[in-house]
Amino acid sequence: MDSLILLEGVSFRYEGAGSRALDDVRLSIAPGEFVGVIGPAGAGKTTLAHTLSGVVPHVRRGDFYGSARVAGLDTVTASVVELSKTVGCVFQDVESQFVTTMVEDEVLFALENFDVPRDEIPARVDRALADLNITDLRSRGISTLSGGQKQKVALAAALALAPSALVLDEATGELDPASSVQVFGLLSQLRRERGTTIIVIEQKIMLLCAYADRLLVMDQGRVVIDGPVRRTLEQPDRLLSLGVNCPRVTTLAARLREKELYHGPPPINLDEAETMVREAMA
Amino acid sequence: MQGVLEYQGGGTVLHRAHPLVKLALAAVVCVGGFVTRSLLVNLALLALSICGGFALGLGGKVKSSLKGAGSLCLFLFVVQLPFVRAGRTLVPLPFGLGITDEGLRFCARFAARLLGATLPLVLMLGVTRLSDLTNTLVAQLGIPYRYAFVVTTAIRFIPVLFVEMRDVIEAQTARGVELDGSFTRKIKLIPPLCVPLLVSCAQRMENNALAAELRGFYLRKRGSGYRRYPLTGSDALLLAVCGLVAAAAIIT
Repeated sequence: MDSLILLEGVSFRYEGAGSRALDDVRLSIAPGEFVGVIGPAGAGKTTLAHTLSGVVPHVRRGDFYGSARVAGLDTVTASVVELSKTVGCVFQDVESQFVTTMVEDEVLFALENFDVPRDEIPARVDRALADLNITDLRSRGISTLSGGQKQKVALAAALALAPSALVLDEATGELDPASSVQVFGLLSQLRRERGTTIIVIEQKIMLLCAYADRLLVMDQGRVVIDGPVRRTLEQPDRLLSLGVNCPRVTTLAARLREKELYHGPPPINLDEAETMVREAMA
Repeated sequence: MQGVLEYQGGGTVLHRAHPLVKLALAAVVCVGGFVTRSLLVNLALLALSICGGFALGLGGKVKSSLKGAGSLCLFLFVVQLPFVRAGRTLVPLPFGLGITDEGLRFCARFAARLLGATLPLVLMLGVTRLSDLTNTLVAQLGIPYRYAFVVTTAIRFIPVLFVEMRDVIEAQTARGVELDGSFTRKIKLIPPLCVPLLVSCAQRMENNALAAELRGFYLRKRGSGYRRYPLTGSDALLLAVCGLVAAAAIIT
């Protein structure tokens, strides 16, 4: 399958920085994949997200090496605007992403800018708000919302454009557990129904593992592990040494395996964990 | 003052009015206050704004504005009053200063003008979404989108600055900085309060610009706005009010 996102030997050093934020990153993501990105602070996760959106090297300047292509566009030669038609982004600091004062205006902003046909706009706004379950916030001022509600508005604004790829950089940090599950469920649905490629940088690893097909583990600007979720979770010691906390059920599976009490794949949810425990007890 | 410049939803005639008509009405009341020479007209315009504010359901904003701008007006009134020498001296003061009847009139008019110029703008922003204002400035006045956006973003950032300032004060207080004390002590507190505020605001503005760019800011054209703003009968009526206010200010 052709790649929607293809990074070949991408390295990037921010202006004035001593070390590289990205170091020889090689990555291929197919359309419709759900990829989770984890790693310790300073691993280069946000720089990777910025590379996919063209912010690096167009806005955040520095030395860029290698080739990054998104939907056939070279991120170095294509403008941020061209790339943003394909890649929707929600970044960490959700507060500073708002460019209007009202929820409805925020969702409208990009649709107006990208000249989405007028007759399509109401349905897109309605759907984006309904998908995030925030239709009741439509006429509210953004400053009156809670942190979690703001994150949902930022997500709705990104979703309204129906991008081919969606990059979320710790965009569910302020959501309560139930809302986080709802957002991940929505992302999964988007992938299934519209074939949207989802790239999520997230600290909630258990949640990520339940939805992603593939995990990228980054450390010091490099992708040090890249593989299916279960295969990645089979290396709890290595993940721990990289500063990534493995889900507890996975760590338990590794210990049971060491004692030859369990022989199956690492569980990624409670049901699987229950099956594992039953097998170990038997 | 937080929230004073923010839109407050409602169903009044002014809420539904054309954004440019609201802007015109606010401008006429503001400028009218400076054009007229009559203190009575100044006070009438001020009363019109206050009553209008309460009628629009923006009583909280009116009170906050009166409190904020009123303090400034009172300060300026007291500072200026002894230095106006024209007119009949009512209360002589040391160093050749004094309170004169002309000084009282001048300072009262000055305070009324300042208050009268503040309130209409606060009320206009209270009944107008900034996006509607931007859209009409661009679509109907032909102002380039980036300039209109800069203006409305600057207005939008004022309450954000207040929130940031509050956060900085809370953070510094939590770290043991005592905000009460003598004047010189307060002067010394400016760097620990202002430096983090400036840094966080600069960072926020940069991220905000980035967010706008990522969502097609530079693609925006004159006709990109989704909403349309037709002029209605009530807009014509409000324009007539604008004319009356302007006439009253010029005549008096």
